[in-house]
Amino acid sequence: MSPELLFQQALNGLSFGALLFILAAGLSLVFGMMDVVNLAHGAFYMLGAYVALSVVQLTGSFWLALVAAPIALGALGLLLEPLLLRRLRGRHLDQVLLTIGVSLVIVDQIGLLWGREVRSLPFPPGLDGSVALIGGVYPVYRLFVIVFGIALAAAIAVIYRRTKLGMLIRAGVEDAEMLGALGVNTDRLFAITFAVGAALAGLAGVIAAPVFGLQPGMDVDALLYSLVVVVVGGLGTLGGAVAGSVLVGPVDTFGKVLFQEFALAVIFAIVALVLLFKPTGLLGRIRIAR
Amino acid sequence: MSSAVRWLAVAAVAIGLVAFPYWSAAWESSRFATTVLRDMLVFAIFALSLDILVGHAGLPSLGHAAFFGGGAYAAGIASQRLGTDQLPVTLGAAVLVAGVLALVIGMLVVRSEGIFFLMLTLALAQIVFAIAFQWTAVTGGSNGLAGVSRPTLMGTDLSAPDRMYVLVALTFLGVCLLVWSLMRSPYGRALTGVRENERRMRALGYDTARLKLSAFVVAGMIAGVAGALSAYSQRFVSPGDAGIGTSVQAFVMVLIGGAGTILGPVLGAGVVMYIQRVLSSAIPVSETVLGLVFIVFVLLAREGIVGLGRAAYARARAR
Amino acid sequence: MIEIRDLRRSFGGVKALDGVTLTVRGGERRAVIGPNGAGKTTLFNVLTGELPPTGGDVRLAGAQITRLRPWQRARLGLARVYQRTELFAPLSARENVALAVAARAGPYRGFRAPPRSEYTAADALLERVGLAGRENAAARILSHGERRQLELAVALAQRPRVLLLDEPTAGMSPAETARITELISGLDRALTILIVEHDMDVVFRLADRVSVLHEGRVIADGTVSEIRGDVRVHDVYLGKAVSVA
Repeated sequence: MSPELLFQQALNGLSFGALLFILAAGLSLVFGMMDVVNLAHGAFYMLGAYVALSVVQLTGSFWLALVAAPIALGALGLLLEPLLLRRLRGRHLDQVLLTIGVSLVIVDQIGLLWGREVRSLPFPPGLDGSVALIGGVYPVYRLFVIVFGIALAAAIAVIYRRTKLGMLIRAGVEDAEMLGALGVNTDRLFAITFAVGAALAGLAGVIAAPVFGLQPGMDVDALLYSLVVVVVGGLGTLGGAVAGSVLVGPVDTFGKVLFQEFALAVIFAIVALVLLFKPTGLLGRIRIAR
Repeated sequence: MSSAVRWLAVAAVAIGLVAFPYWSAAWESSRFATTVLRDMLVFAIFALSLDILVGHAGLPSLGHAAFFGGGAYAAGIASQRLGTDQLPVTLGAAVLVAGVLALVIGMLVVRSEGIFFLMLTLALAQIVFAIAFQWTAVTGGSNGLAGVSRPTLMGTDLSAPDRMYVLVALTFLGVCLLVWSLMRSPYGRALTGVRENERRMRALGYDTARLKLSAFVVAGMIAGVAGALSAYSQRFVSPGDAGIGTSVQAFVMVLIGGAGTILGPVLGAGVVMYIQRVLSSAIPVSETVLGLVFIVFVLLAREGIVGLGRAAYARARAR
Repeated sequence: MIEIRDLRRSFGGVKALDGVTLTVRGGERRAVIGPNGAGKTTLFNVLTGELPPTGGDVRLAGAQITRLRPWQRARLGLARVYQRTELFAPLSARENVALAVAARAGPYRGFRAPPRSEYTAADALLERVGLAGRENAAARILSHGERRQLELAVALAQRPRVLLLDEPTAGMSPAETARITELISGLDRALTILIVEHDMDVVFRLADRVSVLHEGRVIADGTVSEIRGDVRVHDVYLGKAVSVA
């Protein structure tokens, strides 16, 4: 592989990793706080992309979609958590099953409302060109994704470490029961966390849409990738989401280039290996999730 | 109801089930009902096999389609590569491949539990899906394996819809009998013990890892049988047969019907197939309906239809 | 029958067991006492194999069992009654005991229903522990005292050589305590019993010898009267003992 190609693939890997971070952060957060693997996470991602599609069709503004989709998904999350998940407090496995049902409904409704043909979202004007980069050209948008991902990670880190909400979430991830015993309204905290998770998934959907397009089945791909990232990097921690996406992004990209046919199998084999030897992921901590 | 009457009732239902294409021809000549019922029974077998894990052993597997798809591909590939349609050969290949897959995957997953078990089974099943999807030379890749021929048994060609149906129905009854007797046996009781309190079972002297692994393999092999039957019925195998959608579908069937029973997975398969095949032609929102039904059951009727039935029966008796 | 040599178990920096050595003869009834945090439950967990030791070894009837899994030790005749009841909640009392009775024969016995003999044996054991009439009750609806009785029946159903009783009278009324104590006292004298207890009356009633655990070590070991008079034991319980770091 020529150095130019290598460099390009490295950038691809990074931009994919950035996207994976945005996608997986929400899943990791929800699991860390509530001990629930939200299997509707992929559906949230998909919905975010389709909402963006409509917003762009209506207003022509990608940037508006970038704001509107997460808000819409956040609202949905804020609605679903108290309506459904809260009723099954303490029954983690059943909550996971519930999210399966939610996923089925959302995905079907998307097909009904937007149709099942492959759709695409154009690059936002200004980010649709290519830039001359070492030995070749590279799409500006993908560079944007990298920058956006890093900026978002930084913003999340700041909120996580320096705001009251972040502190509450960190404490909740550590020991939600204790937090409740201390008088914190854990119901509201859980709802907010779930909403944030959904919003992040929706945001990932918007960002990814111009690159990957919109089609049936994208929810499954997104869910599987976010599971891979979260499991590899560390269940329940945001640092884990970073570690996982930084690892999986490039590995997947290079894997596809090098192994082509079996890249997918390789990725999941890595997941299986990690789960076997370090079930809490590379950066995860011991949790008893019953 | 005395036990003799109960056995007679079961026998009557069984005979009626097997003879369905013949007596249904009276009111329905298009064979649509037979086809739907046939597919229901294939999935009932699949759901029953998953229930061994989910309902009896307490192992929530979201990757069971790996064995269904594995069996389906094995049966299809065997008939094409080995040039034989003999049922014992192709079905045997399906059971063998599914069993080996279940052994390998089982050894990897058996030491984890709860959410981790769920995710591990999901991940490992995805490897199987990925191989089916990518290995175009052997599996036909994303286009699937087409032209799977229906089997012959001791000279009798089972291609005709009626005969195919009878094969499926008889296999279904056989599987019901197998699972039923297995669950009444000391083995089934031990699986129940593992489900309810694995720590105690170990303290009693049971090798629970071996129990769980054996359950995994048995369930996998039965799923392989269902997969083979699916391959014959559809004359086609798609990678999706090993995919997460199929695994979820079976899980939904088990839960809606009622985990841990014989009737439950069968009813669940019936309900889900009805929604997906019959209702889907009448209304466009069948998957939404399925999702909503599932949500309602998880929230309000966790024990499924059988659980609701039992509760109603208990209430009626209390009066 | 039981030889524990220099058994150690640490959790991070905490030494739960710091070189426990004790020997219990066959047929002996040994009480293990000590203040909270002394390491008694950890000792049991290591004995049953649920917790691997970080040092030392355990022998059962001369055989090394330190590396054996819990189910293997159970098959060698080690049975345990848990401090917090570990039963099969939705199953009936009879089924709970039957599972224990059937453990020896193993579950891989074909497709027929389990033999009636297992259930009649279960019923006999239930009667013995005072649960006659409650055979069909689901374990989860039994009272606390009844559950402890059931636990004992389940342990006995394993036909053990060594019985580990982890605070058998915890949370019981005086009447229930007296009943359980009588039951244990009436057990086969060939059975070796190791009992962790806080209730001294029970200890004095049941034990032949007593071992006192403090901060992961055995600080005293002797007959009931010897321990009664031992100043070190008094100090440990009254908090006057100086930690041997």
